[in-house]
Amino acid sequence: MPDIFVSPDKEEKPVKTTEDPTPDNKDEPPAKQEEEEFPDGDPVLESVPHKHGRVMSSFTLYPKHANFFDKDPDEKVILIVRRHPITNIKWIVISVFMLILPFVLNGFSVFSFLPYKFYFAAILGWYLLTLAFVFENFLSWFFNVNIVTNKRVIDVDFVNLVYREVSDAEFGQIQDVTVKVGSVIRTLFDFGDIFIQTAAEIPEIEFEAIPHPDRVDKILRELRNQATRRLEEK
Amino acid sequence: MLNTIPEINLPVNITPILNGGFIWILVKIALTILLLIYLVFALVIVKQARIMTETLEIGFETPIKIISYLHFLFALGILVYVLVIV
Repeated sequence: MPDIFVSPDKEEKPVKTTEDPTPDNKDEPPAKQEEEEFPDGDPVLESVPHKHGRVMSSFTLYPKHANFFDKDPDEKVILIVRRHPITNIKWIVISVFMLILPFVLNGFSVFSFLPYKFYFAAILGWYLLTLAFVFENFLSWFFNVNIVTNKRVIDVDFVNLVYREVSDAEFGQIQDVTVKVGSVIRTLFDFGDIFIQTAAEIPEIEFEAIPHPDRVDKILRELRNQATRRLEEK
Repeated sequence: MLNTIPEINLPVNITPILNGGFIWILVKIALTILLLIYLVFALVIVKQARIMTETLEIGFETPIKIISYLHFLFALGILVYVLVIV
């Protein structure tokens, strides 16, 4: 029997319910997402992937939370670099050796002449020294950084417990950038030094043993070009 | 007549010294002095961690400060252990 009435196909409209927590902006263009990632404004560089880097990384692009003591309000941090993680191998190996040393010596009964209370105090003291050694080396790696902002490059050096040295140069003051990648290990793990000759009070800023020196050089070149263009426009 | 050794009554009991106990008292004093110096060093580390986190803030400040305080408390704990228990 033929159908007398056939209802027209209705377009199925998505029904929004309060129970449905899934966002309905799946098809939003990626630009929208970038705006959310960069609430302070657009990313500065075209050649750099517009993603936030990790805090513990030695090469952090557009760090999410980045602030330093004399940062200008309109200054944007583009890159934070520190020594390549492979440079930490030496103190990590020493730390592991320090951790297992009491067990090794105990195996040879080296401390058998000590009363137990003194033996326990010696073990505690040893692990206290180990903790201090690890913490100091980690702090030295984590806070000796080079920062690249949209205005300048900054070199933060903590030489020892109480001595801090911070030098910076604006892009207009940079005269020459030299990339040096020597040795097999440095080539293999892609890290090297960058020397920035400046016309500032500090004649040279050094980025020591940083990962991806060529990428950093490219970023610096792009920022220098931007600074030159700005000067020409003025 | 045989010579006999006269008995001497000293004001300080020297038996622990003769038994080797005196050396451990010296060790305890040395340990205490070393740990007091170390405690100052631990305080410097706390201060240094604070200066470093103020110089550069990248979202990892709290764990670093906590570790520096734990290190100081660890040193203090060992000092108390040496003073009270050893």
